[in-house]
Amino acid sequence: MAVLDPPEAGPPEAGPPGTRPRETSAAAVALLLSRRRRAQARRAAVPAVLLSVLLVGLVAASLLLELRRVPLADVAPAALGLRDGLADYVIFRIRMPRVLAAGLAGALFGISGALYQGLIRNPLATPDIVGVSAGAGAGAITVLVLAPTLPYGTTLAALAGSFLAVGLIHALSWRGGVDTYRLVLVGIGLSAVCTAYTNYLFTIADEHSMDVAMRWLIGSTAGATWQGVRVLAVALAVCLVVARLLTRPLAGIALGDELATGLGTHVPRARMLTLLLGAAAAALATSVVGPIGFVALISGPIAARLAGGDRACALAPLVGAVIVVGADVLAQRAPLVSPVPTGVFTALLGAPYFVHLILRRPNGAPA
Amino acid sequence: MNSTMTELSSPHTRPVRGVAVTLSGSMALAIVIVAGVGLGARDISPLDVVRALAHAGGADYDAQVLWTERIPRTLLAVLVGASLGSSGLIMQALTLNPLADPGILGVEQGAALFVVSGVVMFHVTGVRAYFWLALAGAAVTAALVYGIGVRTQTGSTTIGLVLAGVAVAAICASATTLLVARDDAANAHLRFWSVGQLTGRAGVLDEIVPFAAAGLLLALPLGRTLNMLNLGEDAAAALGVRVGRARLMCAAVGVLLCASATAAVGPVAFVGLVAAHCARLMIGADHRWALPLSMTCGAVLLCLADIVGRLAGGQGEVQVAVMTALLGTPFFVWLARRGDLVRV
Repeated sequence: MAVLDPPEAGPPEAGPPGTRPRETSAAAVALLLSRRRRAQARRAAVPAVLLSVLLVGLVAASLLLELRRVPLADVAPAALGLRDGLADYVIFRIRMPRVLAAGLAGALFGISGALYQGLIRNPLATPDIVGVSAGAGAGAITVLVLAPTLPYGTTLAALAGSFLAVGLIHALSWRGGVDTYRLVLVGIGLSAVCTAYTNYLFTIADEHSMDVAMRWLIGSTAGATWQGVRVLAVALAVCLVVARLLTRPLAGIALGDELATGLGTHVPRARMLTLLLGAAAAALATSVVGPIGFVALISGPIAARLAGGDRACALAPLVGAVIVVGADVLAQRAPLVSPVPTGVFTALLGAPYFVHLILRRPNGAPA
Repeated sequence: MNSTMTELSSPHTRPVRGVAVTLSGSMALAIVIVAGVGLGARDISPLDVVRALAHAGGADYDAQVLWTERIPRTLLAVLVGASLGSSGLIMQALTLNPLADPGILGVEQGAALFVVSGVVMFHVTGVRAYFWLALAGAAVTAALVYGIGVRTQTGSTTIGLVLAGVAVAAICASATTLLVARDDAANAHLRFWSVGQLTGRAGVLDEIVPFAAAGLLLALPLGRTLNMLNLGEDAAAALGVRVGRARLMCAAVGVLLCASATAAVGPVAFVGLVAAHCARLMIGADHRWALPLSMTCGAVLLCLADIVGRLAGGQGEVQVAVMTALLGTPFFVWLARRGDLVRV
């Protein structure tokens, strides 16, 4: 995004009346700048409000559609855990955790994608494309099959798997510097290995159901629990705070490593922290809902288009949440095809967008 | 190996080397076939295998197991492997893309999607009908991926094709899941359309043989055409090749091979990639020799992957597509790391 040059601040000189027009123009520029800043803030606020309304509507749809035998009046108390019986079971035990897990996981995927896209400066280099989510899923499924009783085992294993995947991708695509397309290719290979490994584990597992397999291969919010929601909520809070702290260093790195160092950023540390934070966000989301694909990829670019490049990082979680909750409503309630895993709809939505991102643009058009 | 140079300088493999490599390839294939027939949940010694192969229709239990299960399955693996290997080589030669593979470019997923749509919506049954559906799906997907791949802004069509393939494969796989996921019975029945496997597919052998054999026979004489196309369009035209028609014909044969393999066992990635590179590494980029050798390499690879998958699984078998992904991905990553591939 083009940055307007600051207006030339000439020394105020008490001159003849001829200097008056110059002062007026400086004041005009200042006015213009402040208007512009306000316009930018407005431009970011409008989509944020619209997305929030959309999110609330989707959450309501997820809770209320096809209620059948639960009276509508019981819904609000049941959602707060104040009712017994059927209403409590349907709303509080099944639907609430599911929709909350979808929203929180979507927000986490959105953050992780925006962080990677901001750092690597390539819209394709997101955790779901380069295999970080798949690595997290492979870690989680390993614990699930080999040591299912470990407390928070899947969460920790997903984190370990994602960090391992980041390290491997970085090491394998390093060749006197990292080319982003080599990174993406290596990541695609790594995803294939992780998917194959997950498939293999299902073969040797004692018992496996289609639901579980779908969840860990495609990603699904079915079977989300309140414990999973708690993990996601804590993860989202921590990630939002750390990501906020990283905004300034990332903006510096975007201008070039030398300039960022000059501005007082420890570039390697900030880079490493961003990579690990993005991986952790994707891994924690994956540990609850599985590797739901393409959300991290499309959240950042959509946020950038809605609110402008600088504010993409702030809006991306909201976009991610809307996408996953929307996909989840479709996956549960779409006529003819439902119920299907959530990841099916995010892929059907995200893969065409992926194609749109790699297609050649006419000269001069923004990426 | 500097692939650009070897491809540009019209390589010719000396017949002595060609015959030697082909012979050793055939021996490797024979060994793998005997191993594939002999190894499994019930081990049968190689001598007994050879004896059973020599005298068809033995009455004892081992012979029964061999003739009804192991031998059809191994032959199916050989046919599918050979089809995928040569399909991979043709695709790599046509697109000048060292990462091309019918699985990686999403062509197999497209074929699988068409077959599953036919089964779910029109209640199609029988491998013959599967084949025609797979052929249509593979052709449409190949055209789509190629059309997207050459229009990307990624700096090289090599990467553009792979990314386009990943996207199209994701769409096709999701649509396949959409069609089968709501019905557990259909899911159990159609599961191999998302992960290719040889388990329980031995029965389709005699139905798929005509298609696979036709594809392989059509592919064999293409080596010379591919050599000339690799000289560049102008040089090929000067040598009397009608470039557009030749490219279309080669692509059609590649798609046909891929479709018959997918109709038989479902999508199996990475076999074509590895087989084509192995063939070129052993014999050079002369496609008159590399094409038959890529068939041999593909067959050996798929049989090996099947044997390993049979022995590695605990209670069940590991699907052959999972094994080829585990074996083939390191190779893919190694190729992706090569300096001449990625424009920095």
